Parts: sequence; structure tokens; C-alpha cells
Amino acid sequence: MVELEAEDPERLAELCEKLLANPLIEDYEIQTL
Amino acid sequence: MIWGVLQFPGSCDERDALYACMIATGEARLVWHEDRDLSGIDAVVVPGGFSYGDYLRAGAIARFSPAMEAVAEHAAAGKPVLGICNGFQVLCEAGLLPGALLRNEGMRFVCRQVELVADGESLSIPAKHGEGRYWAPEETLDALEESGQVAYRYAPGQNPNGSARDIAGVANEAGNVLGLMPHPEHAVDPLTGSTDGLRVFQRLEGVLR
Repeated sequence: MVELEAEDPERLAELCEKLLANPLIEDYEIQTL
Repeated sequence: MIWGVLQFPGSCDERDALYACMIATGEARLVWHEDRDLSGIDAVVVPGGFSYGDYLRAGAIARFSPAMEAVAEHAAAGKPVLGICNGFQVLCEAGLLPGALLRNEGMRFVCRQVELVADGESLSIPAKHGEGRYWAPEETLDALEESGQVAYRYAPGQNPNGSARDIAGVANEAGNVLGLMPHPEHAVDPLTGSTDGLRVFQRLEGVLR
């Protein structure tokens, strides 16, 4: 699990696709706290 | 032919790669990860180690380094790029090679001499990794086989990590980018038992001819 503060939550999916997860081998789920 | 060997924080095989390149062709220099300038360099090695501490995933952060931006341009121009171990992981993360490297099937770090086969010839070079299990979707694997992009396989019974179809190394479609999990740079001196690694560097040299 990665916790981070984001100024623009709309970009979290892009962040996951480009860095936090490798979509080829990993799934991801975004939870807003 | 002049080689550039990238050096990230956490790289640990760049000096051996530098030595191997110098034995293979006579000239090589290190390229710091913040450096975008590859002018004068004919071929690039992305070396083994633990770039940026392997944080997030092996190669996930290194792919965004300034040097890798330059490597992507270098590859797009059809010039040779060789990724070894962590370098292979970086090239996959960067999208310069297909597939991904997963944790070894046995969940243990392996360190041993392995036999590879490529185009009917065999090579004996060392492997040392914890995340070396090559994986790609079945349709991608089929496409790689059909297009001849499977550059190296572990010899029968030698697969140390559970890699799909015994794949040890793959190339891109153009053939100028090559990723390999075992370490040819550690097999260039008879003192260490094998000089078969030199053939991997010479293979990339052939791209320029």
C-alpha cells in the first residue's frame, strides 16, 4: 500500500499507470481518505 | 566502438560492465544517471544492481532518470542498448522491451553459473538475481517466438527462476535493444572460468555494422 497526499486526485490513476504500478503485472485500487 | 555504461545510485555491476566493454572493443566510459548527453557513444549498457534501491519495483524509478530519456532516443535511432539484470528490468519498465521480471519462482535469490543457448550456440555465464522470472502474456510470448526476439534461453534444466519458456533474454523488434538476466560482464576473463560473455557484447557490436 502506498499512502500519499495529492494536490490533484484526478491524476492518481495516471500516477498509478505510469509509476506506482506496472499495469502489465499489477492491479491497483485508489482509496480516498 | 565506444560504449557508455549507465551508473545509477545503487548500481553495482557498472565497473565490471565497463571492463567488459573495454575488453570487447577498447573504449568505454561511465554515464551518470543525471546526464542526458550520450554524444560520441555508439552503444549503451544499462548495468546490473539495485538502481534507486529498487524502490516501488526494480527499475520503476530508474526508467524516469535523465539518462534513460537519452537511452530511449538512442534506441529509437537504432543504436545498440544492452540491459543486464537490473538493466533488463529497467528496459522493461521503460517499455523498450516487452514483458516484465517477477520474483523468482522459488522466492529466493539465486547465484550460480548457468548455461544459455542462442542460435545453436551455448554460453556459460553467471546469474545472480532475486527478480529474474521473465513473464509476458501468452500472446506476447508467441509473438516473440515468431519474430525471433527470444535472444537467449536457459539450457534444458538450467532455468534458475521459473522464467516463461526458459527465456533468459529478449530483444526488441528491431534487434538493437537486448535485455539479459544473467551477467555476461562477469564472464569475460579466463580467470573467472568463462569468456562467453564477450559474445553478448560482440552481438550488440554487430548491430552497428
